[in-house]
Amino acid sequence: MTFCFTGIRNFPKLWKNNPYLVVGPGHFYNSLFLKDYNGIRNQQKLFSLKTASPQNTKAMNLLTAKTRYRRKEDEGSNKVSSDFPHLFAAGAAKKRSQMNPQSKDHALPPERNVIQLPTKPLNSEQWDKLKEDFKGKANFENWVITQMAHHNSSIDVAKSLLAWVAAKNNGIVSYNLLVKYLYLCVFHKQTSEVFDVYEIMKARYKSLESGGSTLLIRGLIHSDRWREALLLLEDIKKVMTPSKKNYNDCIQGALLHQDVNIAWNLYQELLGHDLIPMMETLKAFFDFGKDIKDDQYSNKLIDILLYLRNNQLYPGESFAHSIKTWFESVPGEQWKGQFTTVQKSGQCLGCGKTIESIHLSLEEYEFLKRKILRDVIDGGDQYKKTTPQELKRFQNFVKHSPPFDIVIDGLNVAKMFPKARESQVLLDVVSQLAKQNLRVLVLGRKHMLIPCARWRKDEMEKVQKQASCFFADNISEDDPFLLYATLHSGNHCRFITKDLLRDHKACLPDAKTQRLFFKWQQGHQLAIINRFPGSKITFQHILCYDTVVQTTGDSWHIPYDEDLVERYSYEVPTKWLCLHRKT
Amino acid sequence: MAVFLKMSIGITFIRPFAKVLVPFTLTKKRRVLYSMILQRYMSSKIPAVTSPKKESTSPEQLELDGWKITMKSSVQEGVPTVSSTKDEDPVAATRELIEMWRLLGREVPEHISEEELKTIMECASKSSKKKYLKYLYVKEKMKKARQIKKEMKAAAREKAKKDQLLETSKEDKQQDFLFLRLWDRNMDIAMGWKGAQAMQFGQPLVFDMAYDNYMKPRELQSAVSQLLESEGWNRRNVDPFHIHFCNLKIDSPFHRELVKRYGEKWDKLLLTATEKSHIDLFPKDSIIYLTADSPNVMTTFKHDKIYIVGSFVDKNMQPGTSLAKAKRLNLATECLPLDKYLQWDIGTKNLTLDQMMRILLCLKNTGSWEEALKFVPNRKHSGYLEVSQHSRESVNRMKKSKTINSFPKGSVYAPRKRDLKENI
Repeated sequence: MTFCFTGIRNFPKLWKNNPYLVVGPGHFYNSLFLKDYNGIRNQQKLFSLKTASPQNTKAMNLLTAKTRYRRKEDEGSNKVSSDFPHLFAAGAAKKRSQMNPQSKDHALPPERNVIQLPTKPLNSEQWDKLKEDFKGKANFENWVITQMAHHNSSIDVAKSLLAWVAAKNNGIVSYNLLVKYLYLCVFHKQTSEVFDVYEIMKARYKSLESGGSTLLIRGLIHSDRWREALLLLEDIKKVMTPSKKNYNDCIQGALLHQDVNIAWNLYQELLGHDLIPMMETLKAFFDFGKDIKDDQYSNKLIDILLYLRNNQLYPGESFAHSIKTWFESVPGEQWKGQFTTVQKSGQCLGCGKTIESIHLSLEEYEFLKRKILRDVIDGGDQYKKTTPQELKRFQNFVKHSPPFDIVIDGLNVAKMFPKARESQVLLDVVSQLAKQNLRVLVLGRKHMLIPCARWRKDEMEKVQKQASCFFADNISEDDPFLLYATLHSGNHCRFITKDLLRDHKACLPDAKTQRLFFKWQQGHQLAIINRFPGSKITFQHILCYDTVVQTTGDSWHIPYDEDLVERYSYEVPTKWLCLHRKT
Repeated sequence: MAVFLKMSIGITFIRPFAKVLVPFTLTKKRRVLYSMILQRYMSSKIPAVTSPKKESTSPEQLELDGWKITMKSSVQEGVPTVSSTKDEDPVAATRELIEMWRLLGREVPEHISEEELKTIMECASKSSKKKYLKYLYVKEKMKKARQIKKEMKAAAREKAKKDQLLETSKEDKQQDFLFLRLWDRNMDIAMGWKGAQAMQFGQPLVFDMAYDNYMKPRELQSAVSQLLESEGWNRRNVDPFHIHFCNLKIDSPFHRELVKRYGEKWDKLLLTATEKSHIDLFPKDSIIYLTADSPNVMTTFKHDKIYIVGSFVDKNMQPGTSLAKAKRLNLATECLPLDKYLQWDIGTKNLTLDQMMRILLCLKNTGSWEEALKFVPNRKHSGYLEVSQHSRESVNRMKKSKTINSFPKGSVYAPRKRDLKENI
């Protein structure tokens, strides 16, 4: 497991060293299209260079399998369409950042010259000698045990250190040494040692602090005395809310000892504290569910899936496997699961069913519209983003014009190509859209109307002929207007900007509204993906389906995160677990 | 047994009052006990322990576990009653927790008052608790360092005095002086005169105090500290401003904090503190609101204008608050030309109130931007930009011709540029 981990941690570093990244800005556009292939090939090269250490083989296999898989898939998708990942697809931000040629390699911090950690238990003279050799600011004992904990030394060495300290100190070992020792015991799963330390701590100290209790809980749950971990949890609760890790450990302990009720109660408590449970916790419930044939338990597992749906959480890869295994183990229902992707049309490649639409329901839509007006544009002080006069002018303007098909963020679009003239780019975009008989609204600022080298008067006049325009004050923000105009025009209306609108999303008061906003944004935001000025404008396709855990009763579709793809919070996974019942 | 119980109860009762005393006595006692137990254990139980070094292979295990016995043995004289008291009292439990954290080497204070403890209990989240504890820790550390320094200084002074006594006894020379040593008082009086003059004829400088609802207590405190400092800078200047504290509501948090910090001096300060707004005191068209968010750049210091500085410390990222205030009242706004003169590196363009005050004072007296912007902290920029006299003039001319019909270019485009960078 740990090997696997180090392998994964190395991965982004390799990626960063990728020589492909050092392409100068001149080659930038050309190399872009070859990106996927180049990137992956180089990765493999690097891996093969580095596979010398036997530790990483497991991770390596995983990685190569993964890259092969991805490559195959990329080839497949390339035949169908462009190779740009969707704006909100998992890993897209990472790719965008890699296109940025300025990414720098981080220099590793210089290694400090320090003494060698002992690998065998030392006697007191040896420890004394070691202490003499040590030249550092920190307390010697502290430093040594911290390093031991860092490098996971064997507990015998740590024990000999404690014995030495105790002998020097009239049999007293300080608390922080004990806690670090406890960490080592827990790490090496030495249950009897954990018991001993627990007894000592109980005897010496009236109460424990959260770090110590967390370790004790983790150490105790695997033993017969796991119920004492629950008492420790109670102790933590007196002062502060336990962490989700504490709950995770206790739930795992309860499940390990077949006490399902306690586990579910703890889970409820965890949700009651407004903590988001760890995926491991949820996975543990599914893993345990394989051996239980009980309707009540199954219903609770379904509740977990609905919790994932409501909070727009996505399981990890191994969790997805657990879910699949559990479904397939349900007797008499004959579930069949497979890992697939979803087509652009919104059909699952596995079963052909259509995934839920991205569009909001009517009341959700109205709710979001109200919230945008109240929290993003107004925000308690109308003067912050605009002025009341301007807001009134805008609302009148929107009310008296028929619904639009496309709303354009004029400044964002115009500044897409740094070398082209702003008004020219804007005119190109507007006229191309106007040719398609779309009703276009261009939002901008007043300074765009003042003729200068970058904003030509004749071009701006042409823009105004082909589209409705609204120009906000120069010191007002135009994005909130963009959002409101789009929402006001109705569900068919789209908006064009490359801005991810994260700061406006942050103005919304609660996570639920933010998720609603994000869903609407995914369904209505058009981003221009042209790399050259002058060429025909193409848009990134809009997702027509919603990436969320969903069910139709006899089928489940569950998006999941791949282990090796880094997903940012404003992106959604691209891989799905499709489950359906055989009939 | 009964005696024992009584004693430990007594100790827990005294504990909060005699924090310093208890550990002393207890540890001493404990230490004796431990060593006794250790000895007993060594002598009675296993003879192998006493000679562990003779057999090099097997006794290791025994030696390694020895310390546990002594650690556990404290159960007997430990604290059997406390577990029941802590159940009832979350305050005591928190205190215990902080004590344990301290043992662990976390950044928590050694001594903590009941009031601070209450603040900790009121903190909503774990991280805010930790933050507050760290703040207390740093405060305590600084206080201790100051104390030590003070003692060292006192000792040095004592020594110097002794040396001097020896010297003066040797040479007892009569000296002629023109003045008595009353410099500080004379300076105070002189500054008072200047201040009175400024009250009559000085250029007004307004601190807008209407931001107390936007600030948390800590921010408010630092805002008041900065106000105090800027008032001090103003007082010492050759030609001070006539300071106005506008929108200062009586018994608002600002007012209370100011009175607390100034003490008796508050009523004798040579400045105008008023509940009225600046637009009531001055003509609207001569007011200029200084804010870093302003699109207009200040080119020269005008001696006939009234500059307003918002006394607002914003650690909470609420951009545009002061610009919104100025927009609401329809006032002219300006910002310092930091980008024009300095190669800006890091940090916000929002400067502290005392830096603002020093820059404005310098501008008022000399009119030179290079001189005035010396008060911008060095860490924020990497040096002055080379602007030759000729190009600056041409830029100014262009700016003048433009400001007639539009805002200067740079400020308008700035947010857009940021957006684009973020997205690509």
